[in-house]
Amino acid sequence: MTENGKISSYENSIDTVSYQLFRFMLIFNGIVVLFNTMVTAHAIHGFIIEGNVFELITKFHLRMPYWKIPLIVILLYISLLSLLSIECHNHIELIVKLWLEIMACFGICFFSGFSYTGMVLLILADVMRNRIDWKKKLFYIMGLACYDLVLNSSLPASYMNVLSIKTIWSYYRYDVETMLTGAINIMFLLNVFAFIMYMVFLTLEQMSEKERISMLYEELSEVNSRLEKANKQLEAYTEESVRAAETRERNRFAQEIHDTLGHALTGIVTGIEACIMLMDIAPDATKEQLKAIEEVARQGITDVRQSVKALRPDALERMELKDALLKIIDETQRSTGISIKFECDASLVNFSTDEEEAIYRIVQEGVTNAIRHGKATEIFINITRVNDLLNIRIKDNGIGCSKIHKGFGLHHMEERLALLNGKLEYEGSDGFTINASVPIRWGSGEEEQSKKEAEYD
Amino acid sequence: MKIILNKIKTQRRYRLLLSCLLILIAFFIATDFQPIGRKKTKKLVIGAFTGSYWDLQNGYAYKILDEAIEEYKKENPEVEVEYVSGITRDDYQEWLAEQMAQGKMPDVFFVPSDDFSNFAQIGAMMNLNVFIKKDKDFHLENFYKKTLQSGSYKNVQYALPYECAPTLMMVNKTLLREKEVKLSGKEWTWGDFYNACEKVGRQLEADTDQYGVINYGWQDAFAANNVKLFNSKGTECDFTSANIYEAILFLERLSKLPQGRVTSAMDFYKGRVAFEPMLFSEYRAYISSEFSAQNYADFDWSYTTMPAGTSGKNISRLDTLNVAMYSETRNPKEAWEFMKVLTASEKIQSKIFDYSEGISPLINVTEDPQIAAHVKESYGVTLDRDVISYAMENAVTDVKFNSYHDAETEVSSAVNSILDAKTNIQMEQIIWNRRINSYLKKIK
Repeated sequence: MTENGKISSYENSIDTVSYQLFRFMLIFNGIVVLFNTMVTAHAIHGFIIEGNVFELITKFHLRMPYWKIPLIVILLYISLLSLLSIECHNHIELIVKLWLEIMACFGICFFSGFSYTGMVLLILADVMRNRIDWKKKLFYIMGLACYDLVLNSSLPASYMNVLSIKTIWSYYRYDVETMLTGAINIMFLLNVFAFIMYMVFLTLEQMSEKERISMLYEELSEVNSRLEKANKQLEAYTEESVRAAETRERNRFAQEIHDTLGHALTGIVTGIEACIMLMDIAPDATKEQLKAIEEVARQGITDVRQSVKALRPDALERMELKDALLKIIDETQRSTGISIKFECDASLVNFSTDEEEAIYRIVQEGVTNAIRHGKATEIFINITRVNDLLNIRIKDNGIGCSKIHKGFGLHHMEERLALLNGKLEYEGSDGFTINASVPIRWGSGEEEQSKKEAEYD
Repeated sequence: MKIILNKIKTQRRYRLLLSCLLILIAFFIATDFQPIGRKKTKKLVIGAFTGSYWDLQNGYAYKILDEAIEEYKKENPEVEVEYVSGITRDDYQEWLAEQMAQGKMPDVFFVPSDDFSNFAQIGAMMNLNVFIKKDKDFHLENFYKKTLQSGSYKNVQYALPYECAPTLMMVNKTLLREKEVKLSGKEWTWGDFYNACEKVGRQLEADTDQYGVINYGWQDAFAANNVKLFNSKGTECDFTSANIYEAILFLERLSKLPQGRVTSAMDFYKGRVAFEPMLFSEYRAYISSEFSAQNYADFDWSYTTMPAGTSGKNISRLDTLNVAMYSETRNPKEAWEFMKVLTASEKIQSKIFDYSEGISPLINVTEDPQIAAHVKESYGVTLDRDVISYAMENAVTDVKFNSYHDAETEVSSAVNSILDAKTNIQMEQIIWNRRINSYLKKIK
């Protein structure tokens, strides 16, 4: 904070000086122009009163009533002031502004007989304030310098037949005239001096700004390196926490295995040892014992199943396959607003976990694909059982596709199905349709079917 | 109002608009812009002076101008024509300048020959070439060529001649007849002139009341000997030429005749002088006043061309009063029409012979036998068609520039001092050439 404060106060002090100098030049030039034109008008008025106007007419053409001259000059100077206060945002704006400024400046010079041309320095000072690249800046400086030279040379005055201040001011007594001309000259020099001061302070300001920028840059790189360090720390921390979680999980596994399998296996081992000893002596008792062991083993399996279920995080694993499918369909419908029709006339119980997983994933992936790639609004899911094959059909009304690029999703489905000796078919002519078939390995299917058949009988 | 001020303070676009507006306002003020929709009745202001251009009071101050306005109104009744009366010939120059300084410059104004180059240089007169080219009814050929030259500057016609007067040599015929001198017609030379003067002078040695010539100045001698003294801008003077040497030599010879140069102007009218160069206007003024007073001189006099120098022709110096249009006039078309009425209308131009002393720059008017007869009858003035037409053909207009009069004075003193010094003329020429040129540099 203290560092920033120092920088800004330093910058402010320099800023103020160059800006104040520019403002001083604006006011100062205004005074000079006003003074110049007022004296001129007064002198012409004097000539008229004294009846010597013809002396003036021999030198130049007074195109307008003399009182108009100060009026025009003041108007032009105000317009120049307002132009100078405009900030430019691009190059074209700058060019337009410069042209207008040059016009106004020329008008002022024209109506004051090219006797005072300090306004060009004002324009130049204004150009220097603009942030344009140095090549363009150099171009403008050269242009304005030429303009100043032309104005200061006697060329325009002699070719355009403008009023000549020298002739007009000869109305005054010689010493007064000398004083007035001297005053204008001194003011011109003062203006030049102010301009030089302005340039010096502007340069200083720009240098200090460069310094400030480099300081800021240093600060930035320092912060950056700190940030990098923090990032690395964070990465290490994440790794550590992952490892901790792993350890915690392993401990849970160990606990679980110890509690279930360990317990059952210990029981089984102890029982079998007893059986070995009893086998020859009391075969009936052994039988009893083996039955007890079977009980323990079955209990163990149930325990293992339960603990595996408890360890798995998925919805699928916490509920029946059908409920899981309904849940995911319901969630998708609610979250995307797409209507999904789900028909299932086959029993989905008794599948092994890998089969359940495969079916669940196929449905999930198919729905996701239909939404993401097909932009579908309606999806039909149909699960039927034909003999020992479970057919899953997912169809949508989306855009489909003529050429199918097998993405990760489809590939993954195929791989899953291949492991179960299943098959995957798809086509994208009318929406997109996926047909997956999974062979059913357990016998209950047949039993069920025969049961059904019996019922029908 | 406050909102606008605030917007100007804060918004760049408004500030740009304001500056453009101010520049435009300044431009309109400067050019005296008036919206096209607001057409007022057109008004022409004429700059004119009272009395005659030829420094003579004739009582017909604005007679021709009034008639021209009447004539103009017949064709253009919708245009108002005005002039400020009462400005004297002496005040006219200053009055014009004042009008200019106050932005009230007349649309059409008379330009005395002394002021022409000045107005041309500062650009106060409208370039008439365009009007002349466009206007099928206007023919430059109707004017004497030399009168048009007086209104042109750098090949641009800025003004049209309204009235002019050539310098002519007045001849006291009675005196010449007495001395049995015969002149050899229009194309006579310095030799004839000198012989005549010598005869008149020599035979009257005892009676110093009679002279050969008066008022024959260096300007006449230089013009007769084809001298180009100044360049058109008046920045340089060639005083060393052989033509000037010859002219000065001739003036010296004339001055050696008894009382050759030093007399008063009235001597000619008293019949004591054989020759005097005079503007036609002076001649005419004198004759008509004598005529109206029924007071005939007891000698017979007429005019002829100026004598030719050894290297020149019978050249008269021509003084012309021009009419010009102000360059910033709002009604240039109307002004041009009025200028045409003033200068090119034969009806108006013929009035010059009634109400003024010069001659018309229109050939048809000045050489019209009817007008000549009328002038002879009414005013007793002879319009010698032969002499006038010859003089107008061979006239020159002095190169006039700013401070021409100062330069002329300088040359006058140069010529006079050479004539008085009686030293080597060519040597003096070189010395004076240097002095005059450095003087010209100083006054520029």
